[in-house]
Amino acid sequence: MMKKVRKDELIVPVTFIVFSILCFFLSGISFLFLAEQVALRFIRNIILVLALIFPIMAGMGLNFAVVIGTMITQACFIIVLNFNIMGGRGAALVLLISLAAAAGVGYVIGRLLNKVRGREMVTSIVVGFLANYIYQLIFVAGFGTVIHVFNKKLVLSTGIGVKNMVDLKTFKEVFDNLGVFRIGKAKISMLLLVMIIVCGFFVFYLMHTPLGQRIKAVGMSEEKAANIGIDTDRVRIIVIVLSTVFAALGQFVYLQNIGSLNVYTEHLDTEKFACAALLAGGASIRKAGVKNAFIGVVLLHTLFVLSPLAGRNAFANASLGEYFRSFVAYGIIAFALVVNLRLEQKGEK
Amino acid sequence: MGEYVLEVRNLEKYYGQNKVLDKVNLSIKKGQIYGLIGANGSGKSTLMNILFGNSVISGTGGYSGDVIFEGERTRFRSTTEAIGRGIGMIYQEFMLIPEMTVAENIKLTRENTKSIFGKASGSMLSFVDKRKDNEDAARVLEQLGFQIDNSYLVKNISVNAKQFVEIAREVNKEDLKLLLLDEPTAVLGDEDAGKLIKVLKELAKKGTSVLFCSHRLHEICQVCDHVTVLRDGQVISDYTKDELDMHTLARDMIGYDVAAVKKEHLNREKKEILKFQDFSVYMPGEYLDGLNLDVYQGEILGLTSLSGHGKLAVGYGVMGQFPVRGELLHGSAAMEVKNVRRTIEQGIFLLPDDRKNMGLLLEHSVRDNIIFSGFYGRNLFQKKMGGIFPVKDKKEIERYVEEQIEKLEIKCESADQKVKELSGGNQQKVCIARAVLVAPKVLFVMEPTRGVDIGAKEKILDMLVQINREQGTTIVVASSELEELKRISDRIAVFCEGKLSQILPPDASDEEFAFAFTGEEEEDGQ
Amino acid sequence: MDSRIKLPQIIITVFMAALFVLAGFLGMDIPELISGSFTKFVMNGVLVLAMIPMINAGVGMNFGLPVGIVAGLLGMCVAIQLRMTGIAGFLGAVALSVVPAVLLGLIYAKILNMVKGKEDIAAIFIGYSFIPIMNFVWTVIPFTNREMLYPVGAKGLRPKISLENYFGNVLNELMVLKLGKISVPLGLLITYAVMCLLVYGFFKTKGGSVMLAVGENEKFCQLSGIRIDRVRTMAIVLSTVIGAAGICVYAQTYGFVELYNAPLSHSFPAVSAILIGGCIGRQAKISHAVLGTYLYQTIYLLSAPIANAILIPQMSEIVRMIITNGIILYAFLKQERRRRQ
Repeated sequence: MMKKVRKDELIVPVTFIVFSILCFFLSGISFLFLAEQVALRFIRNIILVLALIFPIMAGMGLNFAVVIGTMITQACFIIVLNFNIMGGRGAALVLLISLAAAAGVGYVIGRLLNKVRGREMVTSIVVGFLANYIYQLIFVAGFGTVIHVFNKKLVLSTGIGVKNMVDLKTFKEVFDNLGVFRIGKAKISMLLLVMIIVCGFFVFYLMHTPLGQRIKAVGMSEEKAANIGIDTDRVRIIVIVLSTVFAALGQFVYLQNIGSLNVYTEHLDTEKFACAALLAGGASIRKAGVKNAFIGVVLLHTLFVLSPLAGRNAFANASLGEYFRSFVAYGIIAFALVVNLRLEQKGEK
Repeated sequence: MGEYVLEVRNLEKYYGQNKVLDKVNLSIKKGQIYGLIGANGSGKSTLMNILFGNSVISGTGGYSGDVIFEGERTRFRSTTEAIGRGIGMIYQEFMLIPEMTVAENIKLTRENTKSIFGKASGSMLSFVDKRKDNEDAARVLEQLGFQIDNSYLVKNISVNAKQFVEIAREVNKEDLKLLLLDEPTAVLGDEDAGKLIKVLKELAKKGTSVLFCSHRLHEICQVCDHVTVLRDGQVISDYTKDELDMHTLARDMIGYDVAAVKKEHLNREKKEILKFQDFSVYMPGEYLDGLNLDVYQGEILGLTSLSGHGKLAVGYGVMGQFPVRGELLHGSAAMEVKNVRRTIEQGIFLLPDDRKNMGLLLEHSVRDNIIFSGFYGRNLFQKKMGGIFPVKDKKEIERYVEEQIEKLEIKCESADQKVKELSGGNQQKVCIARAVLVAPKVLFVMEPTRGVDIGAKEKILDMLVQINREQGTTIVVASSELEELKRISDRIAVFCEGKLSQILPPDASDEEFAFAFTGEEEEDGQ
Repeated sequence: MDSRIKLPQIIITVFMAALFVLAGFLGMDIPELISGSFTKFVMNGVLVLAMIPMINAGVGMNFGLPVGIVAGLLGMCVAIQLRMTGIAGFLGAVALSVVPAVLLGLIYAKILNMVKGKEDIAAIFIGYSFIPIMNFVWTVIPFTNREMLYPVGAKGLRPKISLENYFGNVLNELMVLKLGKISVPLGLLITYAVMCLLVYGFFKTKGGSVMLAVGENEKFCQLSGIRIDRVRTMAIVLSTVIGAAGICVYAQTYGFVELYNAPLSHSFPAVSAILIGGCIGRQAKISHAVLGTYLYQTIYLLSAPIANAILIPQMSEIVRMIITNGIILYAFLKQERRRRQ
């Protein structure tokens, strides 16, 4: 069935394309380099963006708490390393426990968000911040005091606290040995690529199952869905669990590809950039699909790669390009919020 | 007593202090169409909500008494549970998902699936078989005798089509044992209503029981095997099919108590102060459709209807609380209802029915509430401190507030007491004192005696008449208490289904009112 | 009804007392800590006051505090450019920041009035997206005072401008009272008291009390002919102006004007301070702001040296932020429970 593309869905992506083209010429880099950079970032980011789709469909808005999923994966990497489990066994273990933990934590977040109906977004931001500091507390103060250190390479010379940078090469190699895919100089493990495709397909598939129908119904009208006999609380919890699990998986792919971990900063702001990417792809805080995620990640990262370079070339000041970049990321979220909430208000009247 | 699908025994339900259901008993046989009629606030919807396990009920303290479904004592905690046991419900405001297609809505929660991964995949996670869903939906709609393209989004279809989609969804349930209908024909034309009734009869023949709520008496008489009339939460009467008679039903529903006192009505010259021309108000749950009405200067005009039929929408429309269409003339000038401040400056004021959420500042004192609209809206009681800063003229305020407290007999410890600590009646008096200060030319009062004790009721009605007589204020009272309207009004406008049904003099017979309420016309059509 | 001291306040107070005891055990200079607590208190106190008008008008917590802060930074930068010094310099900076505060406040209000009911999430992102715009401005703005610019190389204003030669610490050093070992910065405390009185007084005027009424019941006020959006705009502008003044007080105590991303770090602590003071987001009193700021800042002040003593210096910042976000989350849950009742 052909669906007409609505005009307002196009405005944001088109603006991004125009700016990207402009920046491309200002930056003066080769197209190949750009493609390589964007492809790499796409692979690293796409699953996290997909994680945002479920809550939007269920009417819960942008789930900024996906950042918790990314932290869980990071924590699992450190813990597995601490037990000196390396290589393929280690990677598999990380994947397993991080997904399980994400499901558990997702359940708790889901319960919490059910208690603050109508304010899910702001609550998810605060929960994300809170989790970040608890995470820091564990790795800054917990390691070497409460948590026994088995792997001395992880901690600072004082014996307390994990180092800023942790090497994950031992896991990366496993994936790279299973076959890689090259774009320019960038290497991407085939296995990771398969995971991404499976994830994208899963989201698409899920939307065409009875569960997907329920999620959509809850998103469009919770009250009506409840009266039809859908357990809305349960659907909303499932949605957040899925979202958190996806985020954990996304971070696994990301770290696996990078091969190292900035313990305290790697996850910062990832949730906001993911939201910005989804919105750049033409999604709104009420409606989003796989298509928006794929297009959005490409568009946002193209601009992200280009704008500092364009800034340096055009104004002899790379930081201007960086300011522009953060303005785009945050501005698009603010814009989407205002436009959507205003429409909703008008709809009510 | 295995023959009954549903028995309700001694059902009682309170909302806070209000008893909304009082020892209600009814029993519905298998394959029976059971009618339930009652005016607003009679407890119909509450009863339905209990039977359907709506969370509103458990959220407000549950109920007492027994619901016996298929011979088994049950207490549904959620609609999901009730649906699982084979109960369906058709709502007055449709429970359809607007962004989904007709077929998706009909099959929602009961989708056909095809399994790609073999039988192992759980039904929630198998692929939806759209084609089969579409076929199913088409078949049901055909059964109903209603034709519509399955692939349309529900938001784009007409109101009566929506009604049929909703019915189709329920009828499509294979194990449907009891179907609850809340005013299902309200939005249907006669022809479509006829179709629906045919469907209900067929359903009943197949063994599904139906509980049918309606205010359209002739339909009730036409289809129901048994009818119960509810008033003020009590079962007033019970009739079998042979005993049904529209007049008796209407009287039972509205009630007999005629007020003893009727006021002498002054003859005034008829000068219009407000003129509604094709005035529609899009108020959710109280839609008002194309009102043409003149309000005369100095009169007390009563507005009444069953709940949800438009009496409240008039005032709220004038005060710009909801989107409106059409014209409203004040004198001869058209009014811009969106500009509430301007409306108030022109001397139009409203006291809302929802006192707690709209009519009072609960956390503020009696004094603050009384003077609020006058002080802030009309700049009364102002003096300038140091020639610049406007501050309250405390002495004047004190004098006025004391006077009003005495005059209206507001029972409070002092003017400093917080309004939320007062009883409903005294709160309403505070509202009236607030309106008096503004000295409006036209005063809209919504449900002035709701939640008010008897003594205070009298005082409030007296005050309204007094304001009208002494200050010449035109008063428009929207109320569901017909007897009270009869006592104070010069004319009473009755609404039905969002349209002005009749304007009656207060001494018109109860029968005339009853028919005006239900929009039945055969009696006065001669 | 909110005057009753509730559990969170008791916990926080006990926690603070425990920290004092712990600090004593670790042999720290208690009088100095107490003196420090006064400065810290006022330093952040005015920023917390910026929460009050918006909360009281029902606009919600002022997560967009960076907007007001930026206005204050602009005012101070102009004052430095004009080489204004001493108390006069400080007052000049405050006066100069009023104009941008009003202008930015009007824009901020315009946006918030479009998203009624979800102001907090919108305000957070207004703050976030406004900062990069200002970063751009800080980079290209043509100020010429060498002390404000990057010393070498890069263009634009430096991220931390010292106020030493202008109006740094002017209030802190004004009328310092020595009580034994404890020094009480009277000038600073008086400034704060005056600010509090001004806000308190405002809510006694007609404009202020109508704001309270709008916050309590918007529909009621509308039916009384009050223009809701106008009242809300007034509250938002007022909050922004107080925020601007607040950062001036903060900067003079701190001794530096912090530009670029620094304004972002003030909003959550300020929100959480007023919540700790006992406000749950419907009506905010001066007492909430005062008590909250004192408790919040003193805990922070005490925890830093204690964290250093146990060799994990980052601990105090982390614990502070856990408290900050935990309190905000608690307030959301509590508000929701209230709404359902």
